[in-house]
Amino acid sequence: MISVKKNNIEGWLFVSPLVIWISLIILVPIYIAFELSLFNVKIIGTSGKFVGIDNYIKLFGKSKFLNALLNSFYWIIGNALCQTFFAFTIALTINYKFPGKKIMANWIILSFIIPTVVVVVIWKLMLSSSSGVINSVLIDIGLLDEATGFFSSPNKAFISLVLINSWRWSPFLALIILSGLNSINREMYDASKVDGANFVQQFLFITFPNLKSVLFVLGLVGTLLSFNIFDIIWLITKGGPSSATTTLPLLIYETAFTKFRISQAATLSIITSFLLLLFSIIFIKYMAPKQDD
Amino acid sequence: MIKENNIKFIFLSLSLFIIILIFFFPFFWIITSSFKSPEEIIATTTTIIPRSFTFEHYNKILFNSDFFIYLKNSLIVSFSSMIISIILSVSAAYGLHKLKFYGNKFVEYSLLVTYAFPGVILLVPIYLLFAKVNLLNSYFALIMVNVLFATPFAVWMLKAFFKLIPNEIEEAAYIDGASRYIVISRIILPLAAPGIASVSIFCFIISWTEYLFASILINSDELKTLPVGLSAIVGQYQIDWGFLLSGAVLASLPVIILFIFIGKYFVSGLTEGAVK
Repeated sequence: MISVKKNNIEGWLFVSPLVIWISLIILVPIYIAFELSLFNVKIIGTSGKFVGIDNYIKLFGKSKFLNALLNSFYWIIGNALCQTFFAFTIALTINYKFPGKKIMANWIILSFIIPTVVVVVIWKLMLSSSSGVINSVLIDIGLLDEATGFFSSPNKAFISLVLINSWRWSPFLALIILSGLNSINREMYDASKVDGANFVQQFLFITFPNLKSVLFVLGLVGTLLSFNIFDIIWLITKGGPSSATTTLPLLIYETAFTKFRISQAATLSIITSFLLLLFSIIFIKYMAPKQDD
Repeated sequence: MIKENNIKFIFLSLSLFIIILIFFFPFFWIITSSFKSPEEIIATTTTIIPRSFTFEHYNKILFNSDFFIYLKNSLIVSFSSMIISIILSVSAAYGLHKLKFYGNKFVEYSLLVTYAFPGVILLVPIYLLFAKVNLLNSYFALIMVNVLFATPFAVWMLKAFFKLIPNEIEEAAYIDGASRYIVISRIILPLAAPGIASVSIFCFIISWTEYLFASILINSDELKTLPVGLSAIVGQYQIDWGFLLSGAVLASLPVIILFIFIGKYFVSGLTEGAVK
């Protein structure tokens, strides 16, 4: 193959509009947030006095912050486990031939293309404690004695939210995994069959290793995106009951827009960005696929 | 041999059944419920097949609410965000994967890492920034943000499509004296068209479903988008379920219609183009 010569100036020329757009809307706000975090500003638009790194020191003593940090951690782990399970199940299923496969592959993504608010409406109705279909089905088949409130206790609320969020995202992830599956050479499976490999061995030694570059991007972007989930939680539980579902994004939102402590919210934002950036750098350094082209 | 096939068949049917139940039944449920009478929706005995049939909720939302204003706003914001996202991401993907310049790996990864600065973190400072430059309560404020969320992943999706285009075709064209402009418009763009189609629907979906920024950056009723308008009903103490359900169905309709036409490009773009 003839390689195209590196084309520095033109290359940058094509990339720069996007790079400028993104930097403008990330770097300027991050600078503003950093500045705010050094002052004591309460309501948006007012000014406060300079307090240095006081905001940062205070934050680490706050149990609310540590609680949200822990919730975010559980949120990421819970979603990663659930979504990996659902997404692989969907992808491996659709990868087989069966009547209606095309329609299924096209429309499985329905839960991803509708607005999150609609996701919230669907599950609020289905999980309602007074008239929800899930409750009545669970009672009919004898799994429950009486209707339960799926968002009433801390644990139930947290698990329900993880499942709802996974319901939204898994089909999309499944399609990306499917793209990885499609790129695997069919002959490898046939050859392994001749050698007597079973189903599980094929998955472990052919399927999984070949998905590396797809799984890398999913691991990185998926973690960052699920950390970022705000609307589903906010619209269903508002972070409750008793802060059990308050992840860091909810804490930041609450601090800024219901408690009106802008500087505190900015401090939280800076610390969170730092943590996520650290995660990304470590992830890329150790997990990036070695060769790419 | 036969035994293994049987096991596979059972597994396949079982997982298909569960997938359909989990991922499709809820849609059947809200659509049928949106035609039920208010009493039937909140009845304690659940009816899988509706006993009542009424258009009253749709009547109310179409002729007695701000639905069309929200719809118009959502359409304007989503289409503009989509077009700008496509232009920026196609150009960037071309630069990254066809021209290859010094530092391209760094740019490629940095783009993905922009997701390390997710919405809520930027929310407060972006609000302040837009307040300063008088961009609050404008379509453009939402477009700026939607493009930020859509493009990094869009560039990654386009990578696979650009890699499929053999460099030899381009080089042959240059040897024949074609200019960069001709090569891009006659060779690259047509060959990358399926990729561009799938990226555009992705960008549209991201903008169509965005709630957080739309709820904070816009406070005039005239400019609210559908998700924000709808969420105002979700938050009410006494939820009018019929109204809410018909609203939810109507708010999903535009993306579903779009998906009927270009959905197959999106799915085949995602599943066949990538990582080859």
